Formats: sequence, structure tokens, C-alpha cells
Amino acid sequence: MAALLRSARLLRFSPSGSLQIVGTKRNGPPLSRLYGGAVGGRTTGPCTRQVACGVGTAPRHVWPSASSSSGTMRCYAVSTEQREAESSLGVRSKQAQQFDWALHKLDTSVKKTGRITRTQLLRIFHDICRTGYPSGNQALLLLRSCGSLMPEMAYAERTELAHRIWDKLQELGALYDSSHYNALLKVYLQNEFKFSPTTFLAKMEAANVAPNRVTYQRLIASYCQNGDIEGASTILGFMKSKDLPITEAVFNSLLTGHAKAGDMESAVNILPVMRGAGIEPGPDTYVALLTAYADKGDMENIKKTMETVEAADSSLMDRDLMQVIFSLAMAGHHQHIPELVECMRQERGFVPDAMNMCLSLITQGQDDTAFTILKTFPTLQADDVNSDSPNVGNFFLRHLVNMEKPVEKILDYCKDLQDANLHSSPLLFTLLCALEDKKTGFSYELMKAVKEQGLPLRPHFFWPLLVQPVKDRNPAGVLEVVKSMQEFGVAADLETVSRHILPAFPNMEAARQALEEVGCSLESESFVSAEIRLLATSDLAALYTTLSDPSFPPFDFRGSLKGSLVAGFKKSDNLEDMVKITEFLYNDPRFCRENSTPAEAVSFFLYNLINSMGEQDLRAQEEKLRKYFHKLKSQNIVISFNIYRGIRNILASFNVKSLIKDVLLLVDPSDTAALSLPRGVESKLLNLEKDLFQLKEEGKPGGAVFKQLLMLLCSEDQLERAMELKQEYEDQLDAGAYATLINTYCRHDNVEEAINLKTEMSRKDSSVVLDASKYLALVKILAKHGRMDEAVDMLKEMKENKVMLKEQNINTLFHVFNTLGAKGDIEGIRRLQDTVFTLGLTKPTSNLCSPLVTAYLENNDTPGALEAAMDCQKRFKQMPRIHDIVVALVEKGDTDLLQKAMDFVTQERGEMTMLYDLFFAFMHTARYREARKIIETPGLRARAGRLQWYAEKCIVNLQMEPLENMVELTAKLFECDRDEMYSYILRLCKETNNFQKAEATWTKMQEENVIPRERTLLLLADILKSNGQEVPFEVPEGIEPRGASDVLRRPSASSMIRGETWYADVSTKEEVQVLTEAPSSRMAVADPAPADPTRDRAGTNHTTRMLTLCKKKKAKEAYGLLKDADQKGVAVNAAAYDILIRSLMAAGSLEEAMQVKDMAVSRVSGFQLNDNANNLLILTHCKKGQTKEGMATLKSMLQADQVPSKLAIARLVQTLAQGPEADAAAIQEVASLTKALGSTLTVSSMLFPNNTALAHIRRGDVDSAVEVLEAVYTAPESLFPSMSYVFRKVLEENHDQALDKLSAMAERLANHFACYRPNTDLFLELFEMDKIEDAKFLLARCNAVAEQKSWMLSYVTKLSKKPGQVDKVKSLFSLFPDCTEKDSQNTYMMKCYDLDNDLASAKALHEQILKEGADLDELSLKRLAGLYRRAGVAIPYTEPPESFKFYAEKLKEKAETSRE
Amino acid sequence: MAATSGFKKVFELYVSKIPWTLANKEMREYFGQFGVVKRCLLPTDKETGFHKGFCWITYSAEESLSNALHTDPHVLEGAKLQVQRNRRHQFIPESTQKNKDSDEAL
Repeated sequence: MAALLRSARLLRFSPSGSLQIVGTKRNGPPLSRLYGGAVGGRTTGPCTRQVACGVGTAPRHVWPSASSSSGTMRCYAVSTEQREAESSLGVRSKQAQQFDWALHKLDTSVKKTGRITRTQLLRIFHDICRTGYPSGNQALLLLRSCGSLMPEMAYAERTELAHRIWDKLQELGALYDSSHYNALLKVYLQNEFKFSPTTFLAKMEAANVAPNRVTYQRLIASYCQNGDIEGASTILGFMKSKDLPITEAVFNSLLTGHAKAGDMESAVNILPVMRGAGIEPGPDTYVALLTAYADKGDMENIKKTMETVEAADSSLMDRDLMQVIFSLAMAGHHQHIPELVECMRQERGFVPDAMNMCLSLITQGQDDTAFTILKTFPTLQADDVNSDSPNVGNFFLRHLVNMEKPVEKILDYCKDLQDANLHSSPLLFTLLCALEDKKTGFSYELMKAVKEQGLPLRPHFFWPLLVQPVKDRNPAGVLEVVKSMQEFGVAADLETVSRHILPAFPNMEAARQALEEVGCSLESESFVSAEIRLLATSDLAALYTTLSDPSFPPFDFRGSLKGSLVAGFKKSDNLEDMVKITEFLYNDPRFCRENSTPAEAVSFFLYNLINSMGEQDLRAQEEKLRKYFHKLKSQNIVISFNIYRGIRNILASFNVKSLIKDVLLLVDPSDTAALSLPRGVESKLLNLEKDLFQLKEEGKPGGAVFKQLLMLLCSEDQLERAMELKQEYEDQLDAGAYATLINTYCRHDNVEEAINLKTEMSRKDSSVVLDASKYLALVKILAKHGRMDEAVDMLKEMKENKVMLKEQNINTLFHVFNTLGAKGDIEGIRRLQDTVFTLGLTKPTSNLCSPLVTAYLENNDTPGALEAAMDCQKRFKQMPRIHDIVVALVEKGDTDLLQKAMDFVTQERGEMTMLYDLFFAFMHTARYREARKIIETPGLRARAGRLQWYAEKCIVNLQMEPLENMVELTAKLFECDRDEMYSYILRLCKETNNFQKAEATWTKMQEENVIPRERTLLLLADILKSNGQEVPFEVPEGIEPRGASDVLRRPSASSMIRGETWYADVSTKEEVQVLTEAPSSRMAVADPAPADPTRDRAGTNHTTRMLTLCKKKKAKEAYGLLKDADQKGVAVNAAAYDILIRSLMAAGSLEEAMQVKDMAVSRVSGFQLNDNANNLLILTHCKKGQTKEGMATLKSMLQADQVPSKLAIARLVQTLAQGPEADAAAIQEVASLTKALGSTLTVSSMLFPNNTALAHIRRGDVDSAVEVLEAVYTAPESLFPSMSYVFRKVLEENHDQALDKLSAMAERLANHFACYRPNTDLFLELFEMDKIEDAKFLLARCNAVAEQKSWMLSYVTKLSKKPGQVDKVKSLFSLFPDCTEKDSQNTYMMKCYDLDNDLASAKALHEQILKEGADLDELSLKRLAGLYRRAGVAIPYTEPPESFKFYAEKLKEKAETSRE
Repeated sequence: MAATSGFKKVFELYVSKIPWTLANKEMREYFGQFGVVKRCLLPTDKETGFHKGFCWITYSAEESLSNALHTDPHVLEGAKLQVQRNRRHQFIPESTQKNKDSDEAL
């Protein structure tokens, strides 16, 4: 994420080594500049330097809001099945999600390739348009991408794209604020676009958007880019009059400006002027100077300047040098390039930066310079000899192909690459690119070269070229390729002919003829396969002869022939050959799929045969089929019971039951045994005491009853009775009983009794072993009472008995240590720690080691603490509490010891860890200058987790200063997620209600070119609003913060959507033409033509007002406005119609919506509802029960190549199932219609079967319903999806007959197929509806349900997300104590309490857990702490220090490992 | 059907990292050196006309399979193929479900 959220920034190098900083050598800039009045005084506006290669690369591999976004996504999926059509809300709530998605998409691209491609951006642009209501940050994201992030596009194209996006989004109702204008300026600068700054300002003013410091800075940069010092001075005057600080960025721009104006003297003179103003020239200043010299080709001064930089104890990064190289290349001074290339150090991040520069150079026609750079790339000496061959330059070759550079030149490069051993097969790779782009002519030229080099040309090389003509059913196009193949001497093989040539022709004959005409030798095989299909439907005898020929090639019978054979068998009366063919296929393994036997294939074929026949066919052919089955029987053909069942169901449903017995003949008799149903339910004993008494009366041993009772008594703390019972049943006491008792005494802190019991138990049977938690309970109590020897003995005994420690035991262990640590008992801890670790009871963890350090710190013995930590590291590879130690050392100013500590950390954990430790210690002690030096260490990259840790600390403690400093200091930190960083500040602003700071933060974000996420904007808006401030941007909709019913808007926000494209003023006419073209042919909404008279002022005014009304959900008023406008003859544009239609539909006003549509159709030629509007239309129809209309809309959508939404399809299918017609056939139709959409639309796999079944049920045909569902679960590849929906509906409607049959089915599936999903679904539905008795009964009949833990858990998970479900969760756990580990149950319970804000119960749970000697995981402890905090109660324990996310991850990891 | 088909032994390789220049024929030829190849499935992307870079090779004998598995590396026309035994698609409802659910739980 960081790649896009952070601005394109540089990893800055500070010259001095980090370690020396600890001492006295501090030559950083004065603190006042870091943090004084001049906001962003040091944050340079790197506009001038980012023209070529300002791309943030290789960000960290964490997508911060992935969990939350997937969460919402999941909710959304649920809503398709269950919720009411809150369509307009749906559209809006999708927006946040979509931003995340789009951002993620682009970010992944930047991660992978260091850039964004045009296709990617356009796709996202299109999707955003389709959803409608583009949000402010979506717009920002798109605009932001149109600059140097696309090195593969020419400058003009990029600007054009930015304008297109600007216009279109504005038309769709996006409201622009200063951040958008500033982003556009940035794009102009990066694309060297010439525009009039004054007009720009005027336009901003007209839109009532106030320019800010960043705007002025960029305008100055723009003047300077064109060498217009006068213009720059005007703006400078503005800034001065507004008392805005003049930053380094401004000086840098001025330097460039003078140079561009040809006045090098003044340019050089900027440096002393800067110093005079108290600003030291930074690397950016020097780059500006170097670039100026590069433009002149003044190598001497370049070298001099570089020496100056070195001497100034500063240094330039590769990226800076690339900038200079780029300028040299563009100015035509190629001879100097190698010298500068030499100077690059190839530091981290070099390759992606250099790649982007190469791409830019190629785009700018500087191919040779690009190649020079490419050759200096470090060859990746990946792992070892085994690694793949080198392939440096793929991106280079691909871009050459994209730009359609001359083939000869590409071939030269290929040769060079291969000769230099940089690439193993450059030519083939280039061909791949050409083929991927379907550049036919280009590909052929390359193929020629391939052939000349003696490399093989294969038939499949031509497939990519055949795809399109085949798709278009264009035989001529196909023949062209076939001809070329022949010219290359490549013969089309079977696959080529059958899959890539024939399908283009209307029939075999035509194909045969055409191919013969072009002289193509018909390869027999491909035609053979077509032939056998033909035979199957026409001449079974001939088919048999052909197939039984041993030379006949093997093929997949199911794939190639089955369909035809079914059709043939249905038609034919030739029983003899039918049987012969069946028998033949049954016995010959050549014709079946891998992983199945011919016998299976044939049984399945029989099933298909019957399945394909309707009732009429079956009745008509009953006799034939009977004979057929009998003959098969006599040929010893056997089918499985499953297949039989399938066939039986079909026959039964068509009431051709007389055939069933004939099919049964074919079933293997041994298979039928599966019919008997296993039963075995033990009744549960409830009244234990009574039962026990009875047993005693009968003179029988108490056994299990006694044990259960004992445990119950212990858990209820009825120790007295428990001991009585113990006396009474002394002889029956086993290890378990002892363990329970011991644990209970430990809990009661009764060390004597606990030890007694333990001794007694061992005496009775020395072989019995307690489990880990009981042992540890003993250790804990012994340690607590200072009986260390015994505690150590206990640990030793554990080792002897090979007791394994689980995670929760290790937590207990930690608490044992920590209790001692808090007491400062160093000796005690050491002894226990050593014992545990030397015995190897568990691995030493940082957590387990920390109490020892705590003990030293408690005693204020820092050197001791450091020693202890170092000792831990040496012995156990753990460095506990190092932050606290370093902080203590910094505070004490003990440089020697600090140096020692840092050396040690570096040696053990690497420099990066050391630097962060040091950084946070300096931050913690407010030594910001030192902290700055550290964070600017070359090569340091962002560690999100550590930064978050510190930020959270600041927020909790309400410390703005260190937080702001951290955000400031990390501005240039590599891979730092800037939005995240700024959102920390905003969170703290929110806590302290500091709106001024919040607003300043927003300006800073603009300066840094950071795109805020929606949640960041929301937070900001929230702070401003709650302080009665205006919000200067559009608040993201759908997820408005609580209490914000009236969204504040700029009074004249609407004035922004005005008139024609304003930047067109300064563009040429030609550009206007380009800009107003329809952005994409896929856009359903017709764009107004350039000369459209409707775009007059009145029209746009109306449009604006309408859109505003729509946004305020006053669709009807907007409609009135439109009618009014229409009467006056004022027309509005297509997008406005579209938005109004959607708003009306969202408000449920279908008729009005349709009227508007009619209006639109008559006013705008080619008007068509877009995807979203159509989806809403379907939903509206469904709401009104108009299924026919819904179907019609769906069909028209598909015809127009639009993608229906999941929600629309789900709702339509549900309405079809529920409507009076209960139209199963229509559901099938929808299924097949949408099937073609394939992966673009992933509706729940059960949507269709579930609803088909419901439709059948509603028509009273439960058997068909059963059949449909059964087919789902018995399908070979079934993933056992859920049919809860069906059960729920049936239960809701009290449809007993259906329920009976469905539960019979569920039971059948469970018993015969070990498929427990339906039963589990039923159980959970019963449970959900509080039909507990029924649920229990079901459980009694099907025990296996209890074992479907994952489904149970998934249900619990769902429950625990809603408030007020705690009783349900509890009750489920009581039914299935084994459904998950006890501690994980506690996690769920705690989650429920947290949600219900029920501190009392949560506290009780925690206490009970502690009493049981168990531990609560950290996540739950965090939740509990939150509860305490909300209740304003002090937290009685140490809250786990890390973040929620951290512990959630930890738990997840634990769950995963335990699963493995 | 699910209940009956899962038990048979299949000797199958899963080969990935196949360069685009190789096709079914080349794969069959190469893997044919370890034993009779019963089947070679190299799926093609219908939209692009390129294969997807992986294929399944089915042998009729276990020996062929282990021959192939014991050879390393498999280099064909300069490219190193990744070869592994094809894990039967065994359906365990927990495995897929559980991951998701326990994530949500937290």
C-alpha cells in the first residue's frame, strides 16, 4: 500500500554513521526547522525532480486494511442471500470497499513492477464510473496515477488521461477540493504540461476552492519549469502577501527557473540566497542545479557540484543521478552518460528505479541510453546453480514491442543481451510479447528470425493469433494464419486443427474445403474425432467398428463422445450395437479420464443417458431400456449403488418406477449392504447423584457417574462434598479424579492439601501422570509460597514423565515467573527459568525471559538488566525488554553501556533492529535530533509494526509532540505508509478534539501528495464537524460517522460542476476534441458530443442542482426539476439522467424512474441504462414481484454485455422461487444465462440449487426438491456447500412435509455418503430458531453432526459478531464441549461480552478462568481491558502491550500451527 | 461419484513452470523417457491462446512415476521444470472452511 499512499519520496542518505551519533557529533538541522512555524520547511516539494523517475517502489508487503475490507466484502456476500434490498445504501457502502480494492490493485502493480499500466488504470476508472457516485479519494487516486507512475505512456497521453478522468468524475458528481487541484498540478508538472497558472487559479476561485500553500508552490514550479521567472515572482508575491512560509521547494523551483531562462548565474546564486533566508540547500537543491548543468551538457560543473555535495557531508542517491542522466539524454549529451552511470552505487531499490527510467527513456525515444543503463543492471546471482537462467531485460524488450520499435533494432538488442549472457532467450521472449499483444505482422517478422536462428517454430506459437478470428467466426482470418503457418513450414497438429481452426467454420465440409483450397494437408486425426461424434448419432455399428480398432487413438470418452453417444442411444433401436459399445467402453481403459475407471465412466454414462430423457422419452423407450439393462447384466456390467440411486430418483420422479428394479439388477450385491443404517445413541445421565446412589444400592461401582459428579463438585467449589465422595470411593479414584482435586486445591491456594493429594496419587500408582496444566498449577503455588526446591522437583518430574507444554501452559509459566519478577526475586526466577530451559520443557521465548529483566529494572539495576538481556540472547536467542533497557540507558546518559548494548543488538539482530530500538529510545526521551539522524540512516526501511507500536503508545498517552515528530521524521523513510502515519495524528487530534491541528495535517498530506483512505477523511471530517468547522472536502458517503446527519457542504460546491473544460482555454482545439471523446467504448452512458448544445450554462446549472438533490436523497424533487427543465427545453446530459434514474429507483419510485428513462432515450441518442441502474431496476422489479420484467432486464443487460450484480441475481432468483409461480425452470434459465459470465460473477454456488429446491417445494413437489439437492451433495466434486437457506425457509413456513423429506434426505446423505453438511445445516437452523429439543433429537440420531467442528465454529463466529448472542454461544458450547478448545471458547465468550459491553460477565469469566488455573489469551485480555476502560474502571492487570492486530495474528498463527 | 472414485491409485505428476514455447507434444516426449505416458493435460487459456504453464502427466505404472520423481532437475530447452507428485484432490471440508472461520473468530 505504501507505494501509493506515500508520496514519491526518496530514501535519504545521511552521511554520518549512525553509531557515532550517540556521542556528540550532531550536525543535523536545527530543531526549529524540523518543527517550527515553517510548516514543512524541510519537506521539499519534489516536483522538479520527479519528472522522470519519481516512483515509490517496492513497498512493504502488508496491505493494511485487508482484514477490514475482506470483512465488509463478506458481509456483502451474506447480504445477497438474506438482507432486504437496501440498494442505494448498498451502492454507497460499496464505495469504501471499492477504494480499498482499487488502491490495492494499483498498489500490487506498483509492488510488482514499480509502475501502473494504462490498462490497469483504465479498468479501475471504468469500474469506478460504473458504480456511480465516485468519491473524493477515488478521484484523487486516479488523478495521482496519471503522472510519473506511468513511465510507459507519453507525457501528452498521460495529461489527456488525467483530464478525461477529471471531467468524467466531475460529471458523475465527484466534488473536487484543494487536494484534487493540487494533485492535478502535480500531474502537470510531472508531465511537463503547459497551462496557464492564472487561469488555473481563476478556475479554482470560480469553484470556490481556496488555493493553499501547496497550490502556490506547485504553480511556482510550473512557471519555473518554463523559465518564467516573472510569473513565478507574481505567485511568490501572493504567498508573501498571505504570509505563507517560503520553503526549500520554492527555492529549488526558482533555481530551475533561472536556469531554464538561460541565466545560470542567478540560478547558482539561489544557494547563497537560501542560506541567507536560513534554509540550507538540501539534496533536492543540488539535483536541481545538476539538472540545470545537464541541460547544458556542462560536465565540468556537474562534477564540481557533485564534489561540493560530497564535501558538504551530504550525498546524492542513485535516483538523483538518474534524474541528471535523464536530462543529459533528453538534451542530447549522450557522451557524458557513461561517466555518470559509473557514479551510481546500485543501492537498494536501484533496479526498480532504473527500470522505470529505462521505460521513460524508451517512451521518449532514447532507446540506446535505456540500453546502456540496462546493461549496468546487476545480474541476479539467485540462489545457486539450480536457479533459472538469467533474463535481464524482459521489461525492456516488452516495452520495445509495445512501442512498436523497428524489428531490426530489437533483434540487435536481443543479440547483445544474449552475447552479454544477460538473457538466455531474448528473441523468444520478444516473440512472446508480440504474440501476447496479438501483433500479427510483428510476430511473423520475429518468427522469421527465430527460424533463422535454428530455433523450433511450433504449431502452438500461432494459437494466440488464431484466438480472435476464431472468436469472430472469421474463416478468412483463420486461413491467413494457416497460410503463414505453411509458409513457415509448420504443420497444424490435431489440437491446432480441432480447437483453433475448425471452430471458425460453420461446418466440417466448409472447413475441409477451405483448408484444402489453401493447400493445407488435412491431418486425419482431427477429423477422426469429429467423425466418431457423427457416427455416434448416425451409425452405431460403424462407430463400434471404428472404436474397436486397436489402432484407434485413446481419447477421453466423457469429454469427446459422451454427449453424442447419449443422443445416439436415444435415437437408435440398435440394441445389439448399443450393448456392444457399452461393453466395449466398459472394458477398455483407453477411453476414460485419468483417476476414474472405464466402469465408472460407463455407469455415469448410463446415468446421463437416463437423465437426458424426459418423462415422455422414458415411457416411450421403457421396453428398449429394460432390454438394454438386462443385456448389460448378462455382460456382467456393474454399476455402483450411488449411480443406481441417481437413476432411481430420476425414474421415480417421472413415475417410471417399473424400470427401477431393472436398474437395480446392475448393482453389485455387496454394495447394497450399505443400506443398513448405523445407530448408536447413548442416553445421557442427568441426575448424577441419584444415579450414583442407585448404583450404590445395586452394589455396582460408581465409575463414570462418580467421576462426573466429582468434577462437577470441584468446579462448583463444593470441596467438602468432593472430599467426602473421595473418601467414599477411595478405590475408584483414578488419575483424572486426583487431577481435578489437585487443581481445585491449587486454585484455593491450599498448597498443603494439593501436595498431599499429589503424593497420595503417586504412592498409589507411580505410573500415573498429571497433565501439564495441573503440574504447572502445582509449580505456581509452590513458587508462590517460596518452596523453590519442590517447584524445581515438580518441573523435573514433568520432564521425566514427558509432559508436553501447550501454549496456554506456557502463559501460566510466564505468570509464575512474572509474579516473582514483580517481587524482584531475581534468584527465584533464575532458578526456575534455568530449570525449565535446561530441561527443555519449552523453548525460551522473549515473554518467558522478560520477567528476569523486569526484576532487575524493578530494582533499578540497569546494567544488571542489560547483562541479563544479553545473557538471554546468548543462551536462548531472546532479547527481552530491550526498549525499556535502552530508554533507561539513554535517560541516564550512560553512553558506554549504550554503545555496548547497541553493538550487541547489531551483532545479534542486525543493524535495522538496533536502529529502531535506538530511534524509539530517542523518541521516548524527546531527543528528536538524534532520532532524526537515526531514521535517516541510509537503507533503513519502514517497519510498519514497530511504527504502529510507538504511535499507539503516543495516542494512548495523549502525546502529540512525539507522535508528530515521528510522522515528520519518517517522511522520507522507505516504504512508509504515509496515510497510516497521518491517520495516527488525526486519531490523537480526535482524542484531544484539536481541529486546528487536524486541518494543518490535511494540508501537509497534500504537500506530501498522500492519498488519504476514506477512513482517514472520515476521521478528519468528524473532528472538524464536531468542532463546528466547515469540511473543505466531500465526506465519503455510506459510512458517515455517527451523529452526522447533515453533511456540511461548501455553500457553492455545486458551482464547481460548471460548464466546459476550463483547461481547454489554454489547450489547442485539437486537444478539446480528444478530451471530450467518450472515455471508453464500454461505458454504457453515452457521452455528449463535443458540440452538444445541451452543455450550455442553464443545462449545467440544472444538472448541478439535480445531482445535489440526488445526493441528498431527494430524488423526487430532482425529478420535478428535470421535468421543469425539460419543459423549458433545457436539456441535461446523459450521466445526469442516469444518476436521477438510479436515485429514483433507490427511493422505490419505479414509475418515475421509467419515465425519466423514456425521457433520456428521446433526448439523448443511444441512451442506455448502465450496469448499476439496470441492477437497481432488477431489484426494484423483484421488490414488486415482477419477475418477468426482472428476467427481461437481466437478459437485456447480458445482451448489452453488462455485468449484473450478485445482489440482483440473488434477489431475482429468490423472487422466482418465492413468487406465486415458483418457477424452477426460470431459475435454471437464470443459472444458464449467468453461467457465461463465469468468473466475473461469483454468486454462491448454492444460490441456484437452493432456490430451485424451494420453488419445487412451493409447488408441492418436494421430491424434485430433494433430487436437486441430493444431486449437489452426491456430485463427485461436491464441496458440500450449505443448504441452510432451504431449511430456514421451510422452517419459517412450517412446511412439515417438506421438512420431513428434507431431513430424511439429510439423514440418508449422512448415513450413505458420510456427507454431514445438510444435517449440520438443519441442526444449526433448528438451534438458531431456538428449537433446541428438535436440534437435540437430530443430534441424537446423527452423532456425526457434533464432529463437524469447522461448521459449528463458523456458526459461532457468525454469532459472536452480533451483539446479544452470548446465551446462544454458551448454549452451543454446552452442547458441544469439544467443538473447540476450552481457551478458544473463552475467546469467543469474551468477544461476545465485549460486544455486549458486559463488563460484569466478562470479569466473572476471567475470574473463573483464573480459578481454573488456566489463562486467557492476550487478545481477550485486551478486549477485557477495553471493557474496563470504557467503564472507567482501572484495569487490574497489565494490559498486553501490543496492538489488537498483533494478538489476533498471533492467535491465528497458533490456530494454524495446532491444525497442522 | 465422490464416494467411489477417490480410492484408486493414480500415478500422476504435476508439472509447472513450463515455458510457453513447449506444448503437449514436447511434454509427452520428455516425460515419456520415464515410462509410458497415459495422459498429458496441458490446459490452454482460451482467451490468450497460451497454455497456462502447468500440466498433469499421468503414467500407467508407479515405476514410471517414481523414475520421474527421482530425476532432478528436469531441464527442457534450457528451462527448469518444477515437477511434483500430483496430490489427489482429497476433499476435506475442514481444511478450506476452517481457515476462513478461525480468521473471522478473531
